Amino acid sequence: MTKIPNKDKATKIRLTPEDHLVNGFSTFFAFIVFLLTVYPIYYCTIYAFSDGKSALAHQIYFWPVDITLDNFKAVLEDDLLVNSFLISVARTTLSVLTSVSFTALTAYALTRKQLAGRKIYSMIAMFTMYFGGGMIPTYLWFRSLRLINTFAVYIIPSLLNVYHMLLFMAFFRDIPDSLIESAYLDGASEIKILVRIVIPLSTPILATISLFTGVNAWNDWYTSAYFVNDQRLMTMSTILMRLVSAADAAQKAMEMASLTGADVKVSGPTPASIQYATMLISILPVMCVYPFVQKYFVKGVMVGAIKA
Amino acid sequence: MFKSLKSLASQDPVLAEQARIRFKKQLSYQLMIWPSIIFLIIFSYIPIAGLVIAFQDYSLSTSYFNNPWAGLKHFKAFLNDSTFWMSFRNTIELSLLRMFLVFPMPILLALIINEIPYIKYKKIVQTCSYFPHFIAYVVVAALWKDVLGNRGLVNNFLISTGLISEPIKFWTDPAKFKILATLVDMWKGVGWNAIIYFAAISGINSELYEAARIDGAGRLQQIRYITLPGIMNTVIIMFILSIGGLVSGNLNISVLLGNSFTKSQSYIIEYYTLDMGLGTMRYSFATAVGMFQSLISFLLVVFANHVSNKYNEVGLF
Repeated sequence: MTKIPNKDKATKIRLTPEDHLVNGFSTFFAFIVFLLTVYPIYYCTIYAFSDGKSALAHQIYFWPVDITLDNFKAVLEDDLLVNSFLISVARTTLSVLTSVSFTALTAYALTRKQLAGRKIYSMIAMFTMYFGGGMIPTYLWFRSLRLINTFAVYIIPSLLNVYHMLLFMAFFRDIPDSLIESAYLDGASEIKILVRIVIPLSTPILATISLFTGVNAWNDWYTSAYFVNDQRLMTMSTILMRLVSAADAAQKAMEMASLTGADVKVSGPTPASIQYATMLISILPVMCVYPFVQKYFVKGVMVGAIKA
Repeated sequence: MFKSLKSLASQDPVLAEQARIRFKKQLSYQLMIWPSIIFLIIFSYIPIAGLVIAFQDYSLSTSYFNNPWAGLKHFKAFLNDSTFWMSFRNTIELSLLRMFLVFPMPILLALIINEIPYIKYKKIVQTCSYFPHFIAYVVVAALWKDVLGNRGLVNNFLISTGLISEPIKFWTDPAKFKILATLVDMWKGVGWNAIIYFAAISGINSELYEAARIDGAGRLQQIRYITLPGIMNTVIIMFILSIGGLVSGNLNISVLLGNSFTKSQSYIIEYYTLDMGLGTMRYSFATAVGMFQSLISFLLVVFANHVSNKYNEVGLF
């Protein structure tokens, strides 16, 4: 224990002015980046917990004013928002379960050297990354498949993700073939090998792809906005998007009212504060999962990036 | 198959057993891959076949294949439409901003964060910088629209300090749209896009730094002569690959950040396609636009991949 400070001193003495400059600058710059990243999210949080009218009257910067849960109450009272939240939860859960297993299985089969025709299969899959039918033929095809305005449109078309498949493949290639071969000779079935050997070895990539799939499903607004007409089937992102444009108009009206003194109430949620509460609710699930998964995905993405 | 197995079995039971295992394995692998191939045919290849309606007069009552042929009518029509060219110009300009303004930022970030001497602090900054990538674009757009709104955080702050007396019109001024939207996009992606450069930096042999230090190279010289050349390959390949996205726009920016004030700057090809197709139901026309864009994109990507492969083989330095 006593030796460490000495060692520290020794290295400190060797630092040149240039070292100090570089260390200082990089530390400072990183702090700016940190602030620019974190502060907007922090601002969203304090606004969501502030009384809407008070926040409108006095700009908040660091602390919420008149802390309240009214904004969240207002969100919970909005039937459509609660409904969209449940749809988003259902969609994300189902998407992760189905898409990850389907994609992983495909990737696993494609990495087996014994699979006849795997070059052709890979090419069929890869081509779709470069060229597609585009928005309109896809829409018309979904229409003839009767997928428009159904919950299934969230799940079925995203069953296989070719980019995720490539990340899985990069990982599976590193599982020693001898491990699988010897299990085979011991009489294990293909399913058993998958469940007992491949899956336990693949926790990092499974966690990574689950996060990616989950985030994609949770954040997607496009599918709801263009493939779904029924408001009660729309996901939270899309409802939030509509809320934003509605809130813009309502907020302007309210600002006018508060400027002219026509608005007599001094507290209560505003469209802006309700919007911030909704945004926070939308970020929250990712925030909760993020710390546990982030140690995996950096590695997963790096492996994919290097090999792809 | 069974006959040959049986005849094999009578000759050599060991060989037969091996053949049986091989067959069973092959069968199970094929059973794993076939659902995906069918999936790709249904959800990727049939829509590609659906591109034929760009050469037809599609009406909702029919299917993809039995419409009257229209030749290149729709292609001629959109090429003569000034709104299309507006969207085309906006798409290219936004892509150029992405390629030249946004592209260097993750590299810069990775280089600077790499120099931080405090490991824990470095880790925290890095982890936080990835986070915006995981926030929904809808939320990011709503957040910045409000923060930079006429009575938003930034304007209120500037007014309260007396720097300005009238709020700056951030989102209703067409002249500011492209740069602001690009900056918001950068905010969301810069940390995440830096991952590949962090990976490249961590792949540099640390003995090189050791040797440079002994030779008396300072920190800046180490960056200039070791780190930068060490990640140059990655940088060049990433840049070449970004050429592939030149005619692809970001619908998130356009739809979520754009508004009627800034339409002249925010309207991109994808938006035009959606408006023409799902908005005014000119399906064949919109498909022609989309196909035109996909074809150029495809050619650019093939070109970019070719160049990056060439570069990988030969190397420029």
